[in-house]
Amino acid sequence: MTERVVIVGGGIAGVSTAASLRAGGFDGDVTLVDSGDFPYDRPPLSKDFLTGTKDVKEIALQPSRWYDDQRVRLINRTTVTALRPGDGAVELGDGRLLRADRVVLATGGAAARLPVPGVGGERVHVLRTADDADRLRPALAPGARVLVVGAGLIGAEVASTAVRLGCEVVLVDPVAVPLAAALGPELAAWLHALHTRHRVTAVQAAVESFVDRPEGIEVGLGGVTRLYDAVVLGVGMVPCTELARAAGLEVDRGIIVDERHVTSNPAVLAVGDPARMRQVPRTEHWEAAQHDGARAAATLLGAPDPAPAAPWFWTDRHGLHIEAVGHMEAAAQTVLRGSYDDPSFAVFGLRDGLVVAAASVDDPAAVRAARRLIDRRVRVAADRLADPAVNLRGLLRG
Amino acid sequence: MSNGSGIRVAALADIPQGEGIAIDKAVTGTADDIALLRDTDDSVYALDDTCTHETASLADGWVEGGFVECPLHSSKFCLKNGEVQGLPATKNACPHRVEVRDGEVYLFPGESP
Ligand SMILES: Cc1cc2nc3c(=O)[nH]c(=O)nc-3n(C[C@H](O)[C@H](O)[C@H](O)COP(=O)(O)OP(=O)(O)OC[C@H]3O[C@@H](n4cnc5c(N)ncnc54)[C@H](O)[C@@H]3O)c2cc1C
Ligand code: FES
Repeated sequence: MTERVVIVGGGIAGVSTAASLRAGGFDGDVTLVDSGDFPYDRPPLSKDFLTGTKDVKEIALQPSRWYDDQRVRLINRTTVTALRPGDGAVELGDGRLLRADRVVLATGGAAARLPVPGVGGERVHVLRTADDADRLRPALAPGARVLVVGAGLIGAEVASTAVRLGCEVVLVDPVAVPLAAALGPELAAWLHALHTRHRVTAVQAAVESFVDRPEGIEVGLGGVTRLYDAVVLGVGMVPCTELARAAGLEVDRGIIVDERHVTSNPAVLAVGDPARMRQVPRTEHWEAAQHDGARAAATLLGAPDPAPAAPWFWTDRHGLHIEAVGHMEAAAQTVLRGSYDDPSFAVFGLRDGLVVAAASVDDPAAVRAARRLIDRRVRVAADRLADPAVNLRGLLRG
Repeated sequence: MSNGSGIRVAALADIPQGEGIAIDKAVTGTADDIALLRDTDDSVYALDDTCTHETASLADGWVEGGFVECPLHSSKFCLKNGEVQGLPATKNACPHRVEVRDGEVYLFPGESP
């Protein structure tokens, strides 16, 4: 019987595991070990936290009394350095051992760096932690020349935040239209073009070199060099799999788990950004990590698996709120509801008469409806979806 | 603020099923606007309108099965008591008493339901 659960990592996946264990009636010990000061939310790091509108307390994942209320023992500023599933324990950085019947790895990831000379320089930034954001913020002074490398979700958010703070921003990506698979090629192209309309210079190129100079950082870009005050890398993340690997668990571009989040060792589960089911690519989204925690808790409780839900994420750039749900790359046909000139609109992806994906700009209700259409496998006609006069809730009623 | 018969703020027909409307704080005399939320079973509830996570209006949320889902990051709040059910919001929404009489919605700002 599981009496002691140790969760390694206090991101949304770890906190959600702890919360779901208690919500599901788990009465044993729950210990959450996190290397940071306290568990906080990451999406604001590239948004309100980077602008300074919110401080770190305001992005806490839970109020501090929650841990007492829920009887979750939080061991912060501490790293788990080894798993000892054979001994029923994990080892902490200070050498202490924590007894654990089951361990949940919720270790998240680290920001990726490019394999380019000079990438370790002072003026090169990444953004994964509150410390990263604290270090980056002063570099985003008005008039600063900022190069953002990578025009995916985080790069685009940083570029949009930096330009709002008055920086001169160049956004570079080797791909002509980033996020085309996630959002569909047309919406992705429209969103990428938005950068230019907001005074961000978008360049298609690969970064070749960084050289620190007294007057700035010289970046080799498409055969020429340019000087910047700061560089921000938004080139993806590297899942934290060291603990899993060292404990002999199966790792292959992520910690391999089954559909109930159990790793190749039954005493160890893995959730969030670093976990991957064999047939599925890793997702690196907030809600996916939250759902993972709920599913892992159900496994530990021996409870039925929560109903699966289509994957969903949001992002904000240039004052627009963008959401996407489902798998746009699986769509055989896309349908536009509204127009790209409207203040808000949505795109639906269909296959065999079913909605498989949707993405919206400032129309979250369309994505919420789509999400239910996807999860409930409701058949809908494309022309009904396309007609802004048709109430999407009505479609749900069949 | 207590008022024997409440403030008439809307007709039930003004609130689409499964949706909400916001009542301006100038009308309710409260610190925040108040979201009137009509569930799919036609019961009506009132919560402070601004999501406790950031700035979204709960009146723009998705109302279903006893909960309102925030339009921005999907936190859910219990319609009856405002209790938050899912991150990223961590604070409960403040509930207010509502009565529906003869198809008219009366609000009792500041009174617990
Ligand atoms: C800047 C930024 C903006 C984002 N914006 C969005 C967005 O708008 N929408 C969206 O859907 N998603 C967004 N995401 C993605 C989302 O935040 C992640 O998918 C989510 O944080 C993953 O949660 P996690 O719990 O798996 O990992 P993490 O959040 O990385 O948490 C892992 C935690 O484990 C700790 N840890 C790791 N190893 C150890 C150890 N050995 N011992 C102790 N502690 C350890 C780490 O310190 C960390 O606190 C954003 C991410 C970033 C970085
Ligand atoms: S604003 Fe409501 S959940 Fe974020």
